[in-house]
Amino acid sequence: MPRIACLWVPDLPLCAALRVEPRLAEAPLAVVQAGDLGGRAHVLGATPQAFGVEAGQTLAEARAICPQLIHRQASPERERSAAQAALEAAAAVSPRVEETAPGLVHLDAGGLSALFGDDRGVARALVAAAERVGLRAAVGVAAGKSTALLAARAAAPDLTFEPTRHGIGGGAFRAVAPDEQAAFLAGLPLLALDLPDELQQTLRRFGLHTLGEVARLPPGPLAARLGPEGTVLWRLSRGEDGSALAPRPPPPRFEEGEELEWDAQSIEPLLFVWKALLDRLTQRLRARGLMARELSLQLRLGGASWDERTLDLAAPTREVGSLLQLLRLAVEGRPPAAGVTAIRLCAVPVPEVLDQLPLFGPRGASPTQLATAVARLVALMGPDRVGQPVAPDRWTPFAAEVARFAPPPPPEMPEPPPAGEVELVARALRPPRTAEVRCDAAGRPLLVIGEGALGGRVVASAGPWRTVAGWWTDAPVAIDSYDLEVAGGLLLRASRELSSGAWWIEAVYD
Amino acid sequence: MRGELAPPATPQQRLHLNRCLARSNGVTLLARRLPKDPRALEDLLRTGQVRRAPALSPGGPRPLSTGIPRLDAALGGGLMRGQLHEIVAPPGAGGTALLRAALGVATQAGELCALIDPADAFDPRPRGIDLRRLLWARPEGPVQALRAAEIALEARFALVALDLADAGPKPRRPRGVIEVVRFEKKPPSPGASPWARLARRAEKHGGVLLLLGRAAQAGTFASATIELERGPSLWDGAAGAPGRLLRGVRAVGAVARHKRMPPSGPLPLHLPLEAP
Repeated sequence: MPRIACLWVPDLPLCAALRVEPRLAEAPLAVVQAGDLGGRAHVLGATPQAFGVEAGQTLAEARAICPQLIHRQASPERERSAAQAALEAAAAVSPRVEETAPGLVHLDAGGLSALFGDDRGVARALVAAAERVGLRAAVGVAAGKSTALLAARAAAPDLTFEPTRHGIGGGAFRAVAPDEQAAFLAGLPLLALDLPDELQQTLRRFGLHTLGEVARLPPGPLAARLGPEGTVLWRLSRGEDGSALAPRPPPPRFEEGEELEWDAQSIEPLLFVWKALLDRLTQRLRARGLMARELSLQLRLGGASWDERTLDLAAPTREVGSLLQLLRLAVEGRPPAAGVTAIRLCAVPVPEVLDQLPLFGPRGASPTQLATAVARLVALMGPDRVGQPVAPDRWTPFAAEVARFAPPPPPEMPEPPPAGEVELVARALRPPRTAEVRCDAAGRPLLVIGEGALGGRVVASAGPWRTVAGWWTDAPVAIDSYDLEVAGGLLLRASRELSSGAWWIEAVYD
Repeated sequence: MRGELAPPATPQQRLHLNRCLARSNGVTLLARRLPKDPRALEDLLRTGQVRRAPALSPGGPRPLSTGIPRLDAALGGGLMRGQLHEIVAPPGAGGTALLRAALGVATQAGELCALIDPADAFDPRPRGIDLRRLLWARPEGPVQALRAAEIALEARFALVALDLADAGPKPRRPRGVIEVVRFEKKPPSPGASPWARLARRAEKHGGVLLLLGRAAQAGTFASATIELERGPSLWDGAAGAPGRLLRGVRAVGAVARHKRMPPSGPLPLHLPLEAP
């Protein structure tokens, strides 16, 4: 017999609000939905501390009942994130999951006994998985989807309200064994089903109040009086579920979103929101044993357009501090065109990669720390001024370029190389300094008057060495180079351009 | 049992322990036979007669080499991690060569290094540095350079080389020299003392900050100051002859100031020049 589990998050707007602000879990909080066209705001859910406040009341009525009431607007972005977190919690227990509605997930619980034991163990694991992502869930386990949902609803009265670090907990479960299913269904009132009001009234006129009473009726006459709905109701009352589980893989991206109550025009308010979003996102990734390989930031601007940018992470990470700095640098480098009204962070996950700390020697920089440092340096100086130095394959003297800094992994057991001779090196002058050089009759330099106080009487010289290259390009190189020692001890590398006779000082030996 | 040192079970384990201690402590312990009784070894550790290997304890990782063994010895083992070191050298005395040698040794040992080069003077052609492990940053001016060095230290680079040879203050002129003062706009100041902050960053994150300048700048915040003096240049061939070559320079180095060691004597250096 198949075993289906149902994970249901009652009061999804309230749970979503408390995931964002867990500190309000012990305060009188109500989540309200603003009416259309400036109509009255209605309460969608409230914490137990808001005594007397119930769903459906207007905000004014709720405030009259509970003067200390704190209210928050319902946010589709938050509820979307919470619903996705519920789906991930289910996917952490079983690979075959189906999201029936936001906050309502069915999953295949068959074959999980080796991991979690019996149905109660599976249900307990689901409740714990939901609590890890800040959600309070009611879980039902039965033979079919509808019966599992009814079992979850039957567990709802046992829910408690327990504030946790990530939201609220206090989930409950009800596992219906195959031999208990008939008795469980027989005792359920018809009001527990989502039946149309007209059908409910008809059944009440017939004197039917429980599913057990419906199950005892013959199906033919019931169908003749109530139509196809009667047949569906009769099959449901006997635990015969017509709908099969249609598992779909969970989305490959983890998303967390937040709507702002005003247009954010500067980076500071965004930092607070990003920090909270990253905290929740990394908590979800941690609960699944994953890390972010790529992070994209979507900003809804004032004109309802979306500004999207993707962060290139050097290595999979879950470090909130590094990710926050990368986000800041990405937005400071290219500020959005208008005020920000909503934010969405999407992470592409990969399996967890743990750093192996070295046994000998100090701990070096992690790839994420390196990427953050490079991003900070790029933001400070510009992209063409930071990177790995590269000598380009051309004849221009002292040419240098930068490439992307991607160091290889450190050796397992580093051995310091034998210390050799320290060689004199050239300090390049970029661009080369212009100079006026007086020469003797043989063409040997005698006096150098260089830009930037470089120069003096030449006391020793060597050269010339001729370089002729790049004649097939637009920038040919044809120079005579000299090593010069001028009075005062400065050692220079100077060159004379053959075509124009102009002198340049290209480097200083040091 | 917690708090007690378990004796090495096999001769191989004893040999491995000895190797680890000798390798990371910089002293040869093989000459001193370790007692087999763990309690006696504990007593030796407690009284300081035998020290734990620095690499196995959180406090004392191995220093980085400068590339010159005699200079390493004068520095007490090399460039100590978590400290600021300063090279003061006039042009042509080999300050850049020494900075480059330290980068070469560190990168070839697998360490990640950063070179903060506001003068854009680094030449990547000569060999000796594993360029894959070197981050080259070219800030505009000393203020950006100091900030870049701070970022690199925070990122846990093992060696951060800050080349202020062309950007720092000029050496003081001796008395009697008339200096022409120009009325020019002053560049932005790096602040009263950035070195205290950089020294703290180096200490916190365990990196070596190696500063090159023409005059001493870091003052007492540097744990060691290496001074170089220029010697004669070396030429091959007769003056004016066609085959004449610059072969290098001679210089003299010394550890002029060290926080825990006496100043060293003069260390003659020969800095050859690779043929062009």
